Amino acid sequence: MVTPLLSFDFGQFMPPLLRGAGVTVGLVLASGIAGTIIGVVFGIGRSAPLAPVRWLASIYTNFIRGIPILIILLFLYYEIPLLFPYATFSQTITAMIGLSVYAGAYMAEIFRGSIQAIPRGQLEAGEALGLNYLQKMRYVVLPQALKIAVPPGIGFLIALVKASSLVSVIAATDLTRAGRIITSQNHAPLATFLVVAALYFVISYPLSLLGRWYERRLA
Amino acid sequence: MSTPAMILAQDIHKRFGDLEVLKGIDAEVDEREVVCLIGPSGSGKSTLLRCMNALEKFQKGHITICGHDLTGSKTNVNEVRRDVGMVFQSFNVFPHMLVLDNLMLAPMKVLKVSKAEARERAMALLEKVGLVDKAKVYPTKLSGGQQQRVAIARALAMQPKVMLFDEPTSALDPETVGEVLEVMKALAEEGMTMMVVTHEMGFAREVADRVLFMDNGVVVEQGPPREIFDNPQHDRTRAFLSKIL
Ligand SMILES: Nc1ncnc2c1ncn2[C@@H]1O[C@H](COP(=O)(O)OP(=O)(O)O)[C@@H](O)[C@H]1O
Ligand SMILES: [Mg+2]
Repeated sequence: MVTPLLSFDFGQFMPPLLRGAGVTVGLVLASGIAGTIIGVVFGIGRSAPLAPVRWLASIYTNFIRGIPILIILLFLYYEIPLLFPYATFSQTITAMIGLSVYAGAYMAEIFRGSIQAIPRGQLEAGEALGLNYLQKMRYVVLPQALKIAVPPGIGFLIALVKASSLVSVIAATDLTRAGRIITSQNHAPLATFLVVAALYFVISYPLSLLGRWYERRLA
Repeated sequence: MSTPAMILAQDIHKRFGDLEVLKGIDAEVDEREVVCLIGPSGSGKSTLLRCMNALEKFQKGHITICGHDLTGSKTNVNEVRRDVGMVFQSFNVFPHMLVLDNLMLAPMKVLKVSKAEARERAMALLEKVGLVDKAKVYPTKLSGGQQQRVAIARALAMQPKVMLFDEPTSALDPETVGEVLEVMKALAEEGMTMMVVTHEMGFAREVADRVLFMDNGVVVEQGPPREIFDNPQHDRTRAFLSKIL
């Protein structure tokens, strides 16, 4: 451990790595939030009274979950300039869109499960009181479903931190790409990627702690 | 002309797939009347009750309740449900809301009652069911009997014209059954129109104006409690009562 780390020039390389870590945190935060919103909408869609809405939500979640995140990112990277020739998206924005689409599908699946876990009697009680569909969802189902969704949601965010390293492939300068750029300069991949790994851990471990704290609080 | 019935069900047929659960039910509940529905498990009592506030659809027959015709395709079921309170065997209180908020939700969202008025109504109802001190408590902290009283108060907060009870005491510990029956009895004495599915024959005998005995999807017989309990006309009624009494 010590020997390779000695060969790593922290003064020179920490700033770009920290910048990369900042991009990773920003990407995960933005796509986590966007994914949660998409997930709530499509998760509700999966149990909507209108069949076409259910189909649409089902196609989105199953299709996206069936393809690798890398393919989604490459598709966006090559297709967005073709579809929107005048759009000047940075790679970071493209990465954010890709991760959001990906996170949305998984979050939708998590919310679908959480909504399904609400006992039927809760829905019927809401209906028997005269609440319409949206009121029933808003005041009875969602508050309870969100609580159920928090632990698996946090679990997914941890996975998302790690999956986000794939955005380096489309040249977004996240933590992984920052590490690769540095190794091409210092030729010390072992030391560099040890530091990169430690930074990933620093990003994802608080999420684990948050998840554990939440589950203890519920218990 | 006499006032029209609060609930009038005519020739109700209901099937789940191939299973015919209601085989032509006629039932009537007049204003201020308390009707108890008794019968063996699986005879269709819950299904009939749930048809009355459109929680279940039925294939054939007519139901009018509080002046709403449930048969018409134009019927807005949410309007019907404003007038019809329902209490479930499993309470179904909202566990994520304080007791007070359980009572205030529907009046505010459905009837657009002001927050202040909803709160006033809720507190008055909690007083009535003996749970004022539990207003700011989550219902999960309450006993079954207390939760069921919250559920009754929650239904009453909509100021319904009719109350439907589906075995409200069947899931309760024996020692809390009485407190729930007391609340229901008080409600009946105030003149609430009620239809009660129950296995509490003491309650039915004391409070009901009429008892309906259902078996296997049909109403076998009905009449004042004394006649049904002391002088049943049908073998099936006798067999059921001998088992349960
Ligand atoms: N949602 C449902 N799907 C299929 N069968 C049902 C459903 N609800 C009730 N049943 C069946 O209908 C019959 C009557 O049920 P129910 O009305 O609950 O009877 P009771 O309340 O008198 O015990 C039972 O055989 C039950 O299994
Ligand atoms: Mg039943």
